[in-house]
Amino acid sequence: MPARNAKQWDKIPGKIASGEYVDSRIYSDRNIFEEEITKIFKKVWTPVCHESELSEPYSFRTMTVAREPVMVVRGADNQIRAFLNVCPHRGNMIENRPSGSFEQGSPSGAPKHMTCMFHAWQFDMKGNCVHISRGSEGYQDRLACSDVGLRRLRCEVKYGGFVWVTLNDAIDQTVEEWAGGAFDCMEKSLNAEPLEVFHYHKAIIPCNYKLWHDTNSEFYHDYLHYHNRITGFNDSYFARKNIGFDNGHVNVGSFEVQYDQYEGFESREELSFPHLPNNHWEMIDFFPGVNFNLRGSALRCDIMTPLGPDKVMIEFRGLGLKSDTPEERLIRQRHHNSIWGPFGRNLHEDLLAVSTQQATMNEWADKRRILHGRHEVDADGDPTIHDEEGMRHFYDAWGRWMDRWPGDPELSFEEGQKREAA
Amino acid sequence: MSESMNKQVAISNVIYKASLFLDEHRWDDWLNLCHEDFYYAIKAFSPEINYDMIYMDGNREDMRTITDMLPKHNSDNSPLARHTVVYTVEMDESQDTATAVSSFAVYKTELDGINSHALAGESNIFLVGKYRDKFGFDNGEPFFMERIVQLDTRRLDKGSHFPI
Repeated sequence: MPARNAKQWDKIPGKIASGEYVDSRIYSDRNIFEEEITKIFKKVWTPVCHESELSEPYSFRTMTVAREPVMVVRGADNQIRAFLNVCPHRGNMIENRPSGSFEQGSPSGAPKHMTCMFHAWQFDMKGNCVHISRGSEGYQDRLACSDVGLRRLRCEVKYGGFVWVTLNDAIDQTVEEWAGGAFDCMEKSLNAEPLEVFHYHKAIIPCNYKLWHDTNSEFYHDYLHYHNRITGFNDSYFARKNIGFDNGHVNVGSFEVQYDQYEGFESREELSFPHLPNNHWEMIDFFPGVNFNLRGSALRCDIMTPLGPDKVMIEFRGLGLKSDTPEERLIRQRHHNSIWGPFGRNLHEDLLAVSTQQATMNEWADKRRILHGRHEVDADGDPTIHDEEGMRHFYDAWGRWMDRWPGDPELSFEEGQKREAA
Repeated sequence: MSESMNKQVAISNVIYKASLFLDEHRWDDWLNLCHEDFYYAIKAFSPEINYDMIYMDGNREDMRTITDMLPKHNSDNSPLARHTVVYTVEMDESQDTATAVSSFAVYKTELDGINSHALAGESNIFLVGKYRDKFGFDNGEPFFMERIVQLDTRRLDKGSHFPI
């Protein structure tokens, strides 16, 4: 067909069904973005860091979840707990550093306490307020330490030592229930022995968080990567399956990567994770914005923090085994970073693509359809690697959380379903 | 000028020459300034995970493999240009080697990374850090034995395929 005029361009192409595309406004509309923060990100479990980042009692990490400042602390009892990083007095952020230890005192506070530097209110590692400066002089019997503990957050350490937090006290699922079996493919490898983070970097990318999640979910973009074109395309590669789980999570099945096809790359066989077949690769796209990617010798985890409809912060972590020798660690770092590091072969290409993708669907651009209608199945009818079932599964969950139809966000999810059925 | 002073000046010159070669993507010329046992690494310390990280490393052959493959990759081709200042050069006369510390800032001038109509031509600082170099000499001419790119910048956004 020749290039289309405006009317033709606006029509649904071919025989694509309404559940096989999304409206580009879900990537750019400010109101939809605000709704996502409220309806999704404030409600779900998300990993915020790894336990190895808080290796000693009194160590801490800070972050934000759905714009709320959060602090994760390891107590004297070795328990990891999470709190809102907000002083109940004047709303100051209690700890500003990205990580550190409360073991030593601070200019305003005593050792082994979280202290708000502003007015020196102090809290223990369980979030109890233990000191209000000149408390009785100022508040008499109207306010006591017992009235002003920190806001605790539900927190679990799960799946290889990741620290999971939710802002939602009323959530009726544990992390395991929320995962709905999505970790079954790699849980044994992650839990075989303690893991340790060896790589961290962050990127703030001018794209909607879902575009990054889409890219992690669809492998049709193999054509973007020289590395994948060289090492990937064989029968076992195309036979990998997309498997959907409750709550919008997706697995991409395992296969053996042929590293010997790519000059400058070596086999990951020697240092493959425990219980992972040599050079194999497993991936979980976890709703709404996390990716776990276990590829031979290294685990990568992307955690997305949406900053705006067209802006996302992605924290990239690489993990190996805590028991690694320095030599083994160096090899794992090389394996991880040669592909996934900030100067690696694949990550730059992926980030470049989502940046230019968002550039066509800014806040003021006309709406258009973004397709995810590929159906590529095996002999049993199961979706394989270039099927776009992963994205469809995600958007089905997204539509239910948002009560919006992804293909036309002005419709409720139910209205969209009816239209699709019709 | 003493022979030692001559060598110090030569080291500054070769650091600046390497900066220009890297700016201009003259990868072979850059690698020709390096010994066959050359080691290159991009490192950073992460206060988030309290860990000394190696973002990239390799020997001269590894670097040649990477630069040879650049045309096969999809890359942000926005030019990167360095402002390099040599801070110190320290000679070890007994070993006929030297070390140098330089400060650098890498500027990116947008070309095709996002939306070229609006952004092409805009310059921003991409990376800052220090070059920590080791040198040997051949007939008084310095060559790179090692370059450690120690980054201060850790928000790396799209990153890059190009050696820094």
